[in-house]
Amino acid sequence: MNTVNYSGVNLRRTLIATTVASVLLAACAAAPLKPDGAAEVRSKLTQLQSDPNLGSRAPLAIKEADAAVRTAEQPQADTELAAHRVYLADRKVETARAQAETSLAEDQRAALSAQREGARLDARTREADTARSQVATARAEGAEQKLAADQARSESDAARVAAANSEQQTTELQRQIEELQARVTDRGLVLTLGDVLFESGRADLKTGTAGNLNKLVFFLNKHPDRSVAIEGYTDSVGSEDYNQALSQRRADSVRSYLVRQGIGSGRLTASGMGMSDPVAGNDSAAGRQQNRRVEVIVSNPPAASR
Amino acid sequence: MNAISQAHRGSRVRIAVGVTGVLMLAACASTPPPTASLQAAQLAISNAERTDASRYAPGELGEARTKLASADTAVKEQRMIMAERFAEESRAEAELASAKTADVKAKAVNHEMTRSTDTLVEEMQRSSGDKP
Repeated sequence: MNTVNYSGVNLRRTLIATTVASVLLAACAAAPLKPDGAAEVRSKLTQLQSDPNLGSRAPLAIKEADAAVRTAEQPQADTELAAHRVYLADRKVETARAQAETSLAEDQRAALSAQREGARLDARTREADTARSQVATARAEGAEQKLAADQARSESDAARVAAANSEQQTTELQRQIEELQARVTDRGLVLTLGDVLFESGRADLKTGTAGNLNKLVFFLNKHPDRSVAIEGYTDSVGSEDYNQALSQRRADSVRSYLVRQGIGSGRLTASGMGMSDPVAGNDSAAGRQQNRRVEVIVSNPPAASR
Repeated sequence: MNAISQAHRGSRVRIAVGVTGVLMLAACASTPPPTASLQAAQLAISNAERTDASRYAPGELGEARTKLASADTAVKEQRMIMAERFAEESRAEAELASAKTADVKAKAVNHEMTRSTDTLVEEMQRSSGDKP
């Protein structure tokens, strides 16, 4: 019984040993199982390493992360320790990624800086171009102004010449007026042609006595802007109607003569004033002779002469 | 005799338990605090704070501080292994906070540069649009 008992004990020991061995074997078979989360961390690291922009950056941090991941991947019965290792590995992978991205950003900054310098240079070039064109414009404007100044100068020269001319003309006019023996009045130059021009009772001009009228023609040709009013006057001998008609005919006669001498008929008006405006008494022969006359009134130029 | 031997055996067990207990206590008392790891964690946190991580990576920095506090608590509770792990995790977290801060700052600088370049180009196009 003892023996049996012994063998029973042996059998039980064998069973236990077998069970333990199989459990151990099972444990060995389960050994490749990595701690929870290790695979995820490994995947994160692989993703970082295979990133073409980041994989080659922060090599030291990536190396440390890789070591931490490898430690985390080791099978660990102590789940707390396993979790701790996974945690550390995860933080190190994250740190490596952040460092790689920082490095990338810093490299990109050089390119950005170059871009900005390029843009600045462009801006400055444009500014310079603008400034240059402004200078050119200003220079052109300056040239224009100079031109304008030259023009103004030449205009003022012209004005001076004109003024000199006009002065000369005034002097000339003065001389001509004296020649005509005309009076300067508000109505214009008044030239009195005595009745010596006409036969008594006749209206046609005496031949050979046109000398005075020719001076007038000469003057009117010199001053084409002036118009002429021709007024005929008589003495009080004879009827009013007769004198009126006679004075008109004498005025017309002078007008016709002037037209024949080339003075535009548009510039000439002729009117008979009869015996209305005597310049002397009609009671003497000398007075009546003064009253028989034709007055030629040369208007002042449209712009009053200086 | 049987009773005596049983009593003997009982006292021997008690002694053994007592010795073991003393040995275990001694073992615990002899495990020093993970001073180096704690210091490394504290240094990493200080570095992160200096780079303004509280602004750019507040989550990571906060976690690092929490882990360091847990490590200190574990030291007081004589759980030195736990203390060391907390300290190591705190350091890793603080280093991540620094790395993230640097990353955010670098990207912000790039963003600003891109923006200013774009503005410059835009202004140039506008001004050249005004005077074609």
